[in-house]
Amino acid sequence: MKGLLALVLFVVIGFITYPGADVVSLTVWLSHPPSDTNPAVQGSLAWLHVEHPPGKTPFIADDQKRMVLLHGAIPGGLIDFWSGSDHAKTGAPPFYPIDPAAYDGRCPQNFATVKVPPLCQQDIDEMAAMGFNSIRLALTWSLLEPRRGDFDPLYLDRIAQVVGWAKADGMYVILDMHQNAYSRFVGRSDPPPLPDGRPADMWDNSGAPAWATITDGFPSETYSGQRELNPAVLEAETNFWYNRDGIQSEYIATVATLARRFRDDSTVAGYSLFNEPMAGWNLPPGFEDLLLFPFYRRVIDAITGVRDGLPCLTQVFMPAVCGFPDAGVHDLRHLFFLDTGLLREVTDFPTHLGLPVSSYPNLALGIHPYTHGYTVDALVLHQPPDKATYPWGGYDQTYSLAEREARAMGAAVFVTEFGNDPRWDPLILANELAEQERHLVGFAFWTWKENCAVNGNSWGIYDPIDCQHDLASPKPVSGCVRRARGQMLERVYPVASADPNLAYRYDPHTGAFVLRATSRFGDGPTVVSIPPDVTGAVSVSGAVAGEPVVSESTSGRTVTVYPGGGQFSIEVAAAPLRPAAAC
Amino acid sequence: MRDRSATWALVLGLLSLPFGILSPFAIWSGSRSLSRIRGSQGTLHGSASAMIGLLAGLTGAMFLIGGVVFWLFMS
Repeated sequence: MKGLLALVLFVVIGFITYPGADVVSLTVWLSHPPSDTNPAVQGSLAWLHVEHPPGKTPFIADDQKRMVLLHGAIPGGLIDFWSGSDHAKTGAPPFYPIDPAAYDGRCPQNFATVKVPPLCQQDIDEMAAMGFNSIRLALTWSLLEPRRGDFDPLYLDRIAQVVGWAKADGMYVILDMHQNAYSRFVGRSDPPPLPDGRPADMWDNSGAPAWATITDGFPSETYSGQRELNPAVLEAETNFWYNRDGIQSEYIATVATLARRFRDDSTVAGYSLFNEPMAGWNLPPGFEDLLLFPFYRRVIDAITGVRDGLPCLTQVFMPAVCGFPDAGVHDLRHLFFLDTGLLREVTDFPTHLGLPVSSYPNLALGIHPYTHGYTVDALVLHQPPDKATYPWGGYDQTYSLAEREARAMGAAVFVTEFGNDPRWDPLILANELAEQERHLVGFAFWTWKENCAVNGNSWGIYDPIDCQHDLASPKPVSGCVRRARGQMLERVYPVASADPNLAYRYDPHTGAFVLRATSRFGDGPTVVSIPPDVTGAVSVSGAVAGEPVVSESTSGRTVTVYPGGGQFSIEVAAAPLRPAAAC
Repeated sequence: MRDRSATWALVLGLLSLPFGILSPFAIWSGSRSLSRIRGSQGTLHGSASAMIGLLAGLTGAMFLIGGVVFWLFMS
């Protein structure tokens, strides 16, 4: 009898852990990708997908199969941040209006009592003027589904409004299901009951609505100054991953609602399914392989209808083998950005096996390279970035390993978030951007604008506002553009090219740019974006067909080069950058 | 009398399914227990637990190694 019980345990545990997960991944790997039988919808921007060249890292491509690099920033204006000056009042209502009418031709006033300014049309126009071709639009579950099962159509309209502004500027939007430290409804224990804890600072927390934040009475206090190292946060995250009370299923329904709204809109590049997923009380690699990536598979199942996992009950714990019912959206055109577990930001090293996730082919592995910002050298050893002894592979380590992870998973690589204290721009930002060029990955920069310097300095592209005086009065939306940072992020870069193995280099100090590529006759053109501040002359040499076409707009110059079959290069000569406009 | 290593093998074997790193210990405990039970002339029991622990350990190891090999080969 005991032997039989042990055998049953062996089969059940094997089914819900690695053996089961590996078998599902193997099945996914061997499956044919689904084909899109929906009638083609003509979008204003080219539909993006992921190309899978044999033996090479997959890459994001357009309808001409050209590699597409997305450059952009992450605005926080649609995030449901806590606001106020009294941290004891944790349940503040959403700060900025949700009704799109409040942003029609105007912009709500900014205040220093919330983390970010409102997001308005001028912001999108300013991003386009920097040469950005995309936005990672950070959203919040607590505004999408403020009450269980009740999705807010007004917030969806507000998202559609921003997508519309981006469409007018020819920019893609990645809809980002953002969260940090799970939720701003985790509470705040003051005084903290556990030794060495500090009362949670609600300034950064966002994500789940109150009804989906199950802390089981754990105190909300932080350790080592990290918002995630909070017992209440860890418990709430754990409950999410184990689908306590069906909250993970509700989240999937929320993403499906979002996807239903934008199903036919090519301005939306895709969906970032969960920002910086934290393991809760779980440990890697089991967290990623058995909880996180199977969760991603379930969201993809629901939105695309591919049915990769096994049918399971959806209101209880769903082990790794479980898929999810088709939500009826049947979206087979958008990309899915899958952030790695948060711990990978600390290690700059894979924290899981990298198993195939889904038979749906349009996947991008989202990495957050915060080298020397949140890696062990900074968090544990407290070393300054210029004296750091980790990562041993330097800035390249996280990118090289991400390429390997992505190849194993059948996904492209995209930097869904990176950023740093602006004081370290000459070192950290310069190196990160150089690696992104070398590895041909696009980026979303954290963050666009940030109101106040909380722990040292604000990380926005713009200077912060005055947060020390007269908190009750309206403030400007930001300070001036940080000139040096702006010059580094406003880059000359190939927006699209038929050669996914091209090499390019941009020098933000001189404005010089060189790109070398190889083409076959009949390939689509290579398009290079030159931001307004870069004034150097453009020259083209090698196997090109005809003269390059240079068009000008408020976003700068766009150079289109038609390949003639063979090697060619595109160069922008070094020239003084345009002086900063008055601010 | 029940062989204590058989119980250890079972526990380690089941744990090695989610935590493959434990599989060598499960395999070692299971093999050692089985050989002791067989050599005990019937005085020690627990061969079913030891066998399933060994099997679970081997399964855990197989899937861990398989996953790592897949990762190295495919990447």
